[in-house]
Amino acid sequence: MSIQIQHVTKSFGTFQALKDISIDIESGELIALLGPSGSGKTTLLRILAGLEGLDGGRILFDGEDITNVSPKERKIGFVFQHYALFRHMTVFDNVAYGLKVRPRKIRPSKEEIAKKVHELLSLVKLENFHDRYPSQLSGGQRQRVALARALAVEPKVLLLDEPFGALDAKVRKELRRWLRKLHDEFNVTSIFVTHDQEEALDVANRIIVMNQGKIEQVGTPEEVYDNPKSPFVYDFLGNVNIFKGRLQNGKLKQGLFEINAPHALNSYEEAIGYVRPHDIQIEKEKVNNETVAAKIMYIHVVGPTVQIELKRQDVDEYLEAELTKEQYKTLNIQKGDIVYVRPKQLKVFIPEDFSI
Amino acid sequence: MELTLRKRKRNTIIPGFSLTLGYTMLYLSIIVILPLSMVFFNTISMSWSEYYETISHPRAVASYKLSFGSAFIAGLINVAFGTIIAWVLTRYEFPGRKIIDGLVDLPFALPTAVAGIALTTLYAPNGWIGQFFDFKISYTPLGIIIALTFIGLPFVVRTVQPVLQNLSKEVEEASASLGANRYQTFVKVILPELYPAIITGFSLAFARALGEYGSVVFIAGNMPMKTEITPLIIMTKLEQYDYVGSTAIASVMLIGSFVILLIINIIQWQTNRKFNQQ
Repeated sequence: MSIQIQHVTKSFGTFQALKDISIDIESGELIALLGPSGSGKTTLLRILAGLEGLDGGRILFDGEDITNVSPKERKIGFVFQHYALFRHMTVFDNVAYGLKVRPRKIRPSKEEIAKKVHELLSLVKLENFHDRYPSQLSGGQRQRVALARALAVEPKVLLLDEPFGALDAKVRKELRRWLRKLHDEFNVTSIFVTHDQEEALDVANRIIVMNQGKIEQVGTPEEVYDNPKSPFVYDFLGNVNIFKGRLQNGKLKQGLFEINAPHALNSYEEAIGYVRPHDIQIEKEKVNNETVAAKIMYIHVVGPTVQIELKRQDVDEYLEAELTKEQYKTLNIQKGDIVYVRPKQLKVFIPEDFSI
Repeated sequence: MELTLRKRKRNTIIPGFSLTLGYTMLYLSIIVILPLSMVFFNTISMSWSEYYETISHPRAVASYKLSFGSAFIAGLINVAFGTIIAWVLTRYEFPGRKIIDGLVDLPFALPTAVAGIALTTLYAPNGWIGQFFDFKISYTPLGIIIALTFIGLPFVVRTVQPVLQNLSKEVEEASASLGANRYQTFVKVILPELYPAIITGFSLAFARALGEYGSVVFIAGNMPMKTEITPLIIMTKLEQYDYVGSTAIASVMLIGSFVILLIINIIQWQTNRKFNQQ
């Protein structure tokens, strides 16, 4: 089912949670709503589910205005961060709930319900747990029950509110992969909220980055990561190093240091260059003015990558670089060495970009 | 066996087990078990036939029925209305909510005789409320039930209220998103969560009503065979210096309440098991 969100606004008292949000979502997409807490992502999801009213704007499902339709008639599946399972019901009854509460006319027979529930439970690999209570399950199992429960009513849209937020790292990774598989199998339009950029990049077909009640950027994971439209998106999607300077003739200058910024041709007194840690190259000799001298403060070896913390010698700022273990070995550097740092890829934002 | 016991003792982190358990046993013995056992010690001086005759006297039997029956009905009324009051107090914001919240505790604080006199006056045939009814309320079992409902009200409200407060809104939202209407959500999702608290509230209100004396004697009218409650029979016998007879009746009350509370507790254990299975 396609979803159109048109000019939606929402306030809680004086706090404006959503400011004029408009997005089109196509049928079968797997969308991540990414943003820090307070960015309005959960509010938007709850409005889509009908659990929260809106102050202005419209929501269309398949072209039909459902702004004032109650949650029970929206044909959605909602998965909560803390599962929200019915703890006095067995796993079977939890999954069957949505079918059992249907009006008698459209309610499937007992046998059909049982068949459907067992199908879903085998899909989430919990066939043998059907007579357990939620308190007897682990967090990952509970969330799988919650997913099966949401899917039982054959929703046209699956909405997930930080579905893996309460789980430990390993289970989270497993469930992510599993959610994507499930989405491909059912081909149901799915939207999940997350504040974890890795999760969004890993699972979604398209990411909607939100900040302070507004949409910062919409795009595929690749677009959003490689071409962030604003400093916020750049910052939120990964670690960054900041190079402040003056923009002149397509170059970012600070003291002796100057580097090409080919996309910024205008001149500005103040500009900020953003560089990801893995786009920083470390050299032992000074070749030209495109490098800055820095002292190595710490070296952390984290599995296959090596993270290096550096302190710039010209200004009192810290940099972070990420090397592969191989690069690190060939460089042969140690804590305390003075090295030369070269940003390989730099994205320049001028202060106007920061205006909110 | 001894080894595992000793091991467990050493492994526990929380200190003071033997101290607090010892204190609990001593305290319960002096405050609860010893006085209660006096009931049986006193009764022992009777022969079996005397005992049976006393406790099966028609007046006594009628009073058991009245006491247990009216306490049970009052408990049920309190379950229904107490749950509604708890619901209103936790779910809605309205002016005067705090005052109503305070009013609920009043039956706890009021001396029961005051309550008894007030209720009797209100429900008397010429009283403010009594005048609107064609039938008598004061001096009938109906009046007794009203008095017992009054004193038992806070128990259900105060046990259900915190559970309702802690009930996560998400569970209700999940129910709605799965297509349930409000009635279904209440009956299938909220009510089952409240059962343990409701049962506790019921057993407290019931137990309190069983032993109630002060407020009931005024409104009951105390007609033998009709509106005479068991505690009153015990009092009457005491006033006639029939200590043994009064303890015999008391022993029936004691065993009766014990059995009923035990049954309620068993029901409660079973409902609780679902929630806390690990």
